[in-house]
Amino acid sequence: MSRKLAVVLFVMVVLVAAMGLKTIVTTHGDGSVMMAAGSAPAPPTPWKAGSAPAPPTPWRAGSAPAPPTPW
Amino acid sequence: MPGPFAWFIWFVGLLCEATVLVCAYKRQALRRYFLLNLYVAGLMASEIGRYYILIEHGFKSLQYRYFYYYSDAILTVFLYFALSTLYTHVFGELKAEKYVKLGTILLLAGTALFSYSVVVQSSAKLVTHFVVELSQNLYFVGLVLTYVLWAAILKLRETRTRLVQIVLSLGVYFSLLAANYAIRNLYPGLSAYSVPLVQVFSTFLPLAWAYAFWRLPEDARLAPSRLAVIPR
Repeated sequence: MSRKLAVVLFVMVVLVAAMGLKTIVTTHGDGSVMMAAGSAPAPPTPWKAGSAPAPPTPWRAGSAPAPPTPW
Repeated sequence: MPGPFAWFIWFVGLLCEATVLVCAYKRQALRRYFLLNLYVAGLMASEIGRYYILIEHGFKSLQYRYFYYYSDAILTVFLYFALSTLYTHVFGELKAEKYVKLGTILLLAGTALFSYSVVVQSSAKLVTHFVVELSQNLYFVGLVLTYVLWAAILKLRETRTRLVQIVLSLGVYFSLLAANYAIRNLYPGLSAYSVPLVQVFSTFLPLAWAYAFWRLPEDARLAPSRLAVIPR
């Protein structure tokens, strides 16, 4: 039983560490996706229709407190 | 359409993947590292599929985008299971196979649950968002798991050269991708360089595994002192 609990603990620690690491890495992210499997050229994400450059997010301009997102 | 460099790297990557399978077959390592080889075979199949879809529909077509990201997610799950078999190899003598399987399933379920809880708030394209989110989260889980496995290898004084080479190459691969991703997020202006670099990095893993299968026999052993020096 204790071994199974140890496995559960290990899983939780790994999950927390991985998601924490991801949060650190993507803190300043623009929503781009990490793609990796294979050497094919990576396309833009499916939900970015069109090739126009992404504008800055609306809540970065100015020093006013950020409102909740429209959606 | 991709430039000549992208085509060249793509072709080199495909060649490296085929080399892994040939080397594994020649060195009778197909069954021993079955999931690793299955991942490489799946990688090859998806590369060929991506090629045909790109030729048929174009680089920015929705077909190519969807196929690319969905196949990437499936391959990430394959790679995750391949990584779990490396745990089975390392902890084989401790008779911990049952616990490795339990941990693998629990961690995958936890990651899927976490990914779902993140994307459930976006109503549009829920499945696609979930697939991409799961794929990314599994990469980071794989990164952490590889470092934990490397620590276990040091602690247990694992000496099987081929196994050490495979785990180390996986660690380098995950680290390169994560570092590249972090740099892309920190300095978006460098994405003209960092995005094509992903392609180059992707050829590293099959190249390292082909080397491990071809040059390092299964019974080759490292001297423990070359792994770690533990003061007494």
